[in-house]
Amino acid sequence: MRLITLPTLTKEAIGRFGHRVQGWLVIGFSLLLVVAISYFSCFAVRAEPIALAALSLNSVGLINPQGLNSTYTDERPVLSGSGRFLAFISGRDGRRRLMLYDLQSEQLVDLPWLNRRDAIAEHPSISNNARYIVYVASDSGRPEVELYDRVTQLVQVLTGAYRGWFRNPSISPDGRYIAFESGREGQWDIQMIDRGSNIELDILDQRS
Amino acid sequence: MKLVPVIVAIALVVFFLSSFSYPRLMTLPYDSAGRSLNSPYTEHEPQVAGDYLVFISDRNGSQDVYLYDLVSRKLLDLPGLNSVDSVASHPGVSVDGRYLVFAASHGGDVDIYRYDRQVRRLQNLTASLDAEVRNPTISGDGNKIAFESNANGQWDIVLYDRSDF
Repeated sequence: MRLITLPTLTKEAIGRFGHRVQGWLVIGFSLLLVVAISYFSCFAVRAEPIALAALSLNSVGLINPQGLNSTYTDERPVLSGSGRFLAFISGRDGRRRLMLYDLQSEQLVDLPWLNRRDAIAEHPSISNNARYIVYVASDSGRPEVELYDRVTQLVQVLTGAYRGWFRNPSISPDGRYIAFESGREGQWDIQMIDRGSNIELDILDQRS
Repeated sequence: MKLVPVIVAIALVVFFLSSFSYPRLMTLPYDSAGRSLNSPYTEHEPQVAGDYLVFISDRNGSQDVYLYDLVSRKLLDLPGLNSVDSVASHPGVSVDGRYLVFAASHGGDVDIYRYDRQVRRLQNLTASLDAEVRNPTISGDGNKIAFESNANGQWDIVLYDRSDF
């Protein structure tokens, strides 16, 4: 008895529901909602940092730039080839994010579309003027070496076509080569990716 | 059914072209005796700058820093840098290959060191710092060095500007 009555009930329910609300409108609105949420989450990434924790270290040549450190963990610093930019991983605002700091203007630099809510970026490395940022992220379930271009604001997965596990990427200052650890030989070895001669190199400005 | 050979042909052409396209993996040398970049032992934490690649390997029984020249494709000597009683980690190199920076542990006490290849001098940058330190990084010109310190109870970033010295 149950086996027969259940399908008819659901069929009726679906029919009534579809008649009243019209399913395609629901789908349309939920899509709009998803777009809106992802759009506003992009602004959330640009939130201002918490005031820096004062460093009580008195050493010669030690600098403590305004706004670099927070009361949360700030780790894995990496300097650009020019020495002007510093990329690091910060746990401020309850989220683990890759951040870029400009030591010259003493402020954080926007990285639109790099930090996402569904993935963690680790082990950053940056080119001469921080145009290219490489890091490890796991968008698709396994760690990949990804490259972010600050000019085009696009992310490129570099290791998608290769088998294995990848760690600790490092980009050359001109942005052409990326060295990283690979576990595909059964132990950690070093491998390099050549991005080719057709890319725009991140050349150091000789005037500065 | 006539489309099948066409699709196969297109797939083959795409595969052929993609094998020559960038980005591509480079072939790096391997030497089972440990005289080159990769060896039967662990190589990790690579950092590339200019023509140089610096990395950590345990091929000689302790975790040491190695410097590889990507142009002449050989390991470079680092006299006085590695010692038997220290564990090195997280190296970095300046673009001209002159300055190396790394963290080294002597009996559990970790310090940040800078090595000058020209005068073969090893300098402890954090001897006066009463905190744990880790993960150093060096700028392309070798003047700025940043690392992590836990002097304030959590990991913060500390920056040295050597051009002020």
